[in-house]
Amino acid sequence: MSEAIWWAVARSEEISAEKPFNVDIGDQPIVLWRDTEGAVRALEDRCPHRRAPLSLGCILGNGAIQCGYHGWTFDGASGQLIDIPNLKSERKYPPVYKAKSFGVHESAGFVRICLDAKAPPPADDGYALPLSGTSTVALEHGQYIAALFDDPSLLISIKGVRFSPYLLAELCEQDGQLVMERSCQWASPHWPAPFTSDFPISLRIATDPVTGESDLTLRDDEFNLLLHATLAPVPGARQVTQVRWRAILSPERPGLAAKIMGVGTPLRVHDHIDGAALRVLKPSASIHADDLREEIAARTDQQDEVA
Amino acid sequence: MLEISDNPATSANDDPITSDQRQFSAKVNAWMPHEIMLTDAWFPLAHSFAVDKKPVRRAVYSQPFYLWRGSDGQVIAAENHPNDALAGAKSEYTDDSGHYPVLEKYGYVWSWLGKPENAAPEHVPSIPYLPEDGGLPLHMLGTVRFDCCAPLSLENLIDLTHADFIHADVVGDEKMDSETVEVFHDSETITMVRTCVNKSVAPIMKIFGGVRADVQQVRQVIRIYLRSHAAIAYGRFSPGDNVQLFHPCVPETRDRTRLDYAMNTSNVKKTNLFRYMMPKASYKVSRQDSSMTSPQSPRYMRPEKRKDLHSPLDEAGQKYRVLMMALAERQARGDFAYRDNVSLDCSDIIGYDGT
Repeated sequence: MSEAIWWAVARSEEISAEKPFNVDIGDQPIVLWRDTEGAVRALEDRCPHRRAPLSLGCILGNGAIQCGYHGWTFDGASGQLIDIPNLKSERKYPPVYKAKSFGVHESAGFVRICLDAKAPPPADDGYALPLSGTSTVALEHGQYIAALFDDPSLLISIKGVRFSPYLLAELCEQDGQLVMERSCQWASPHWPAPFTSDFPISLRIATDPVTGESDLTLRDDEFNLLLHATLAPVPGARQVTQVRWRAILSPERPGLAAKIMGVGTPLRVHDHIDGAALRVLKPSASIHADDLREEIAARTDQQDEVA
Repeated sequence: MLEISDNPATSANDDPITSDQRQFSAKVNAWMPHEIMLTDAWFPLAHSFAVDKKPVRRAVYSQPFYLWRGSDGQVIAAENHPNDALAGAKSEYTDDSGHYPVLEKYGYVWSWLGKPENAAPEHVPSIPYLPEDGGLPLHMLGTVRFDCCAPLSLENLIDLTHADFIHADVVGDEKMDSETVEVFHDSETITMVRTCVNKSVAPIMKIFGGVRADVQQVRQVIRIYLRSHAAIAYGRFSPGDNVQLFHPCVPETRDRTRLDYAMNTSNVKKTNLFRYMMPKASYKVSRQDSSMTSPQSPRYMRPEKRKDLHSPLDEAGQKYRVLMMALAERQARGDFAYRDNVSLDCSDIIGYDGT
């Protein structure tokens, strides 16, 4: 069975019971909030009455969301219209009077949405990495992932670390993910990368072929874990990419250079891209991504047929 | 000159508000407000005080209007700026010298967009509580803009339940004992009368108007003159002072609306701060409206399969859509006639008795 896509559209701390929150999945605007039990609810960010954004409305004491325009009130779980305050009567509304609802799953500090409300949720992921952030980048989703493969320094910065142009392993497929490993150096004075024999650090990136959600693992040459991060780029309106991320800096990092990673912010996801540098960025690892995605998709289709 | 013919809309066949529910719904759901361009109408383009020797620029559906006063004080409306050396060919909307029909009434400069020979004073809407010769003090007048197409601003106005939510902090929330809405229409106007019993008092009337009671009896009337995109908003509040607002939504361009408002608070005692503060509420209230209609506007720009849902409170809004589309259809067929007289005094219809 081909799996429905669960997009990591928000971090848990971004969603509250106080104020609705708006995100996009492609051209689909979505409103998120927490109900009285703290469960995240997700509906289309569009009131079916006059198309106003529900995210401009408010959350009522009973956990329902109320449109800020004419007060139409919707149940969070089903999206059913449950009240039009000015009608002043207890009445039931026909099933078609609803805002579209979506599948919601919260775990490990991420709120995931599936556009198919009936899709079975994924398994819980474990605990939330302590560092986190949100960036919105004026770069199309597919190009964002390609840039992550070809030169991550255009998209992210790791304190005290410089990414090199050299790979220990080019992009390949492992367990349905696209995986590659890039050599890195410390930011302190170092031998130029082209003349370097052995690099002190490596960055392993494992990426979901469809969503581009990536696990980043930074290790030293003795395989001590330095930093682990999850980066979730989600396509938004106007071809913008919304990026949520969570990370943990390993508390024990041998060596002075590794300790410096803990001074200030260990990981930054850039809001602005250097366009001039991006324009001339030579495709390298990303060239293989499309072929690999095709192979993975073909294999999944075959499995669907057999099933 | 455009004659006012006998009203054939009294014949059931011609009234676009049909009793066939499916036909009515189909029209309501075909609403594409950005596509509507109604001509052969007077538009209130500027407050009289804003027009002097230096030409000011206005627009209706991107059609330029330059307004200024000649040495005799009379207003001129021209398609091109007098200094414009690059002026293009003149359009069908102006006479041989590139001038539009223009007149002044109610303290506004009105100009006619349409066939110049069809312009006539009897097509200027009736606004009972604005002095015909203008002259209201400046603090009662102003300009605000909406980041949406004009019909959406007018749809916003004709369903006043929105005020209970968007403008709750100015004009009060939805708490009241009962609310009834009546809708009247002819081929050129739609009128909505909303009566609220024991409504919670509008904050602006508590704070500035000296209203001490917990509840008010409210009668609000919105009357829209369809072609001119101009609305009367008349509210009677008891206790409290009546609100006499003229709310023209000039369609400057297909996605932006200009409101040169006039709120005549002459009926409010000069010692009452409400007289000076209520017109200023337009600045806050218009931002609140625009915050909703601005994201709405692009969502109405392309045909959508999904139909808007309606409640019984949407009768006026739905009829507004159907009447606008009916006028547009008639004009597309070459029929620009006024089947109803918009300049007839509408005091009785809106319940204005001069106080």
